[in-house]
Formats: sequence, structure tokens, C-alpha cells
Amino acid sequence: MAMSIIQKLKNKVRQRSIHVSYVNVGSCNGCDIEILACLSPRYDLEQYGIYVHNNPREADILLITGALCEQWDDKLVSIWEKIPEPKAAITIGNCPVSGCVFNRRGSYVNPPVSKHIPIAASIPGCPPRPSEIVSTILSLAPEVFKDFEEKGKEKKR
Amino acid sequence: MKKTVDVSLPIGPVHPVFKEPARIKCETMGERVLSAEVELGYVKKGIEKIMRGRPWQEDMFLAERICGICSVIHNMVFIETIEKACDLALAPRAAYLRVIVNELDRMQSHILANYSYCYTIEHETLAMYLLNTRETVMDQLELLTGARVTCAYIIPGGVRFDLRPADAEKLEAGIMKVESDIRRFMGMFENGRMIALRSKEVGILTPEEARIAHAVGPTARASGVRLDERLNHATYKLLNFEPVLRDECDNYARVMVRFQEVLQSIGLIRKCLDEMPAGLIRSGGEVGAGSFSWKGEAPRGELTYDLKTDEFGRIVDIAIMTPSIMNIEACGHYMLKGIDSAADITSTFISSDPCIACNER
Repeated sequence: MAMSIIQKLKNKVRQRSIHVSYVNVGSCNGCDIEILACLSPRYDLEQYGIYVHNNPREADILLITGALCEQWDDKLVSIWEKIPEPKAAITIGNCPVSGCVFNRRGSYVNPPVSKHIPIAASIPGCPPRPSEIVSTILSLAPEVFKDFEEKGKEKKR
Repeated sequence: MKKTVDVSLPIGPVHPVFKEPARIKCETMGERVLSAEVELGYVKKGIEKIMRGRPWQEDMFLAERICGICSVIHNMVFIETIEKACDLALAPRAAYLRVIVNELDRMQSHILANYSYCYTIEHETLAMYLLNTRETVMDQLELLTGARVTCAYIIPGGVRFDLRPADAEKLEAGIMKVESDIRRFMGMFENGRMIALRSKEVGILTPEEARIAHAVGPTARASGVRLDERLNHATYKLLNFEPVLRDECDNYARVMVRFQEVLQSIGLIRKCLDEMPAGLIRSGGEVGAGSFSWKGEAPRGELTYDLKTDEFGRIVDIAIMTPSIMNIEACGHYMLKGIDSAADITSTFISSDPCIACNER
């Protein structure tokens, strides 16, 4: 039972401490600047406890933009492995889902991103609005990180 | 003499200050940078390749998605090249509306670039102020075009939506707020002692070096090179446009040029709103066969489109030259060389406002 008190505390804390890293795997920058716009005082990510680190080793959530160019085939997996557990990946924009306008014969993109790493949520849009990005992170993070340690114990049994 | 160990210092491709993946390889002695090389190729999508053989209606959206930060200018230059190739007439009112949207886009891009610079030198207060001001500019862009980033506002012969008088009033009120904010932040940047320590006489690009590397845009203008494609644009000629020039040649000058250009853009928008004639926003015509090469001034410098269409309005051949590649080379070869501190590498790189997505397409 002692574990569950700690777990409850962790659940509570994790709702308000979400560290985010973002990686551009072949986007046109449109989605990247909409993530940057989230930092602005108008949307103010940090009031919700979301902190954009851009360092995978300190992150909880990885935001992925872009249609996955050839260069990223192996690099994206290595970035994903650097993130400590518990972790989740969110794709931003149409590109990581379908390749958007770039998915044509002869282009160098290779979507979807979910071929390489597990994706917890996708935000479609070209690009999505900053408010949509904030609300997705806020609604996804508590779900993914809830009772993380106890779930892990059950798996071991 | 005891020799300091030479270190090869790689920065990137994923780095906290970079919005996009790029890699800077620096040869350093102690903290002094001896030489630097910028390695690109992480976001190559092959847009020019997939543009060939497609109708202009489709390529218009692809052109816009070459760069998400300066999407309006890509749209504008692509459409202007088609217009000139096929001799399409432009509605006079639309010419002014194009300038308004283009200048709004330039404002948000310059403010974003200055935000990145301030963030890189760890002046987060000023950075956040600037990012908030950018949102006000984005609101005006949304008011006119209906979208924040990829607006597809400019079409052959004109623009998509008219500016209603009520919206013009809102636009004027919006840019007035932006102007007072930017004047305040420009003063903060100009007189900040700590900012000057990090910015003045760092990342020197002399006018000769700027000419050799063919630096363009604010990077060249901060070195006193009078290079601005808006001087050759018909509508800007009517507005008596004169480029902003500075002669300090350092990081400080490049950021200040951008601040001054934001204020200049506000002036241009006001002039457009005053002088804009009434009338239609679209003229007729059909895209046919032709070829043309045309340049426009993107927020980062000159942007060239060279294209050939067939009688059905399909793009047969297209070549695009974006400004960032010259600025990145100027940065790698001249600005980064001789920097005294490793902390200034990223800020110098950001001061040249690199846009990797534009570059690699």
C-alpha cells in the first residue's frame, strides 16, 4: 500500500511537470514555429508545467514534425532510445502521418513515422494551431504516465 | 611552447538552439574557433523534383511549403514568375494587398529571427517579449488571409480575399501596437550592456567578404552592401522603397537591421493602406506556355524562381535558389572563424538567420 501513496504522488506531480523535446525530421518549418509559438506568453506552455528542453535525455515527451527523410531512418530511433521512461511521442502536422504534399513519387520522404517508433498521439493540420498542440500534450501526458511504476510491476509478475 | 589540445567540436544536428537540424563542425584551439564547416542534408525532401510535370494549381501549394517561416514570399515569387512567363495582368489593388501580406510575413520572420538570437544569448526576457509581439503580427496575417502559416493568399492575376474597411482599421490598430512594442524592445536591445558584450564585434563579416560569399538580405545589409530585390519590384518602386543599411558588420548590426526593417515594413503597410486604389482584386487570364526567371526579396535575402510552363499550365521545369545557402556559407567561412568563445558559435550562426528547410527543400 505504501507504494500506491508514492504512486499517487507521482501521478499528481507528473501532471504538472512535463518536459518536452522536439525533433524536425524533414518538415517545412511551419509546424516547428507553431511549437515555438506555444512558448510565447500568449499560450504560455510553462504555466501548465510543460518545459521545452530540446534535450532528449531530459525529456518525457517527444514532439515529431516532418515527413521523415532518409537521413532520419536510424537517427530517430536512437533519439527515441535516449529518452528515459516513462515516455511518449506525439506527431505534429499531417507530414508524420501521411507525408502531406510531399508524399509523391520521386520525393525523398518515407512516412509514416510510426514505422520506426511507437506514436501515442497525432495532431493533424498543416500546421495545427498552437492551442491544439498545448491541449494535446496536456490531455495525453497524464494518461500515459498514470500509475507507470505499478503497471511495470504487474508486467514483471 | 606548450600547445593547447585542438578539439573538433561538433554542434548538432539536434541541438537546443536550432529550430531545424544542421551540424556545425568547428576546429577549435582552446575556445578559439580556427575553422568551421556547416553540414546540411537532414531535411532534403526533393520538392523541385516532385514539382515537375504537375499543374500550377498543385505546385502553388508545394512552393508555399518549401519554407514555413517565409511561406508568403515563396507563394508570391512563384506566382509572379508564372504571371511574367504568361503575360498575365495584375489587378492594381491586388498589387498593394500583396505588399501588405508580404511585409506582414517579413515582420513575423524578422521578429522570430531576433527572438532566436536573444534566446541564444540567453536573454530570455527580451526573447519572450518579441515572441509575444510576433503573435500580434500573426493575428493581422490571419485577419487578411485566413491562416497563420500557409495561407495561399496570392494567385495568378491577384489575391484571394479583399481587405474590408473594417478589417483595415483592425490592421492599422494592430500594427500601431506592434510599432510601439518594437520601438521599446529595440531600445532595450540597443542600450543593453550585457547584450552588447555578447553581440558587438562578434562574428565579423566585412563588406569584401560579404561580396565574395555573395551574402544576401539582412546579413549583407548589415555589412553595408546595398542589395535588396525590392528595389527592382514595380510596386515597391511606387512606394519609394529604400533599403536599411548598417556598417558595423557584426551580430549586433544584423539584429538591428532586422529591427529597423520591421519598423520600415510598418511604414510600407501604412503607405499601402493610404495609397491602395479601389477596384477588383483579381484580373482574368489563363496560365499558358512560357518561361521566366524572377527574383524577390525574402526575409532572408533574394529568392530566385526559374520556371517553364507548357500550354496546359503545367510546370515543365523549375529551379529555385533560396537565400539561406549563401548566408550559411558566409557564416561558416567568415563569421565563425576567429570567434573567441564556443558560446558565440551558436549565436553567430543564428544571427545570420539560417533557414535549413528553405535550403534543402
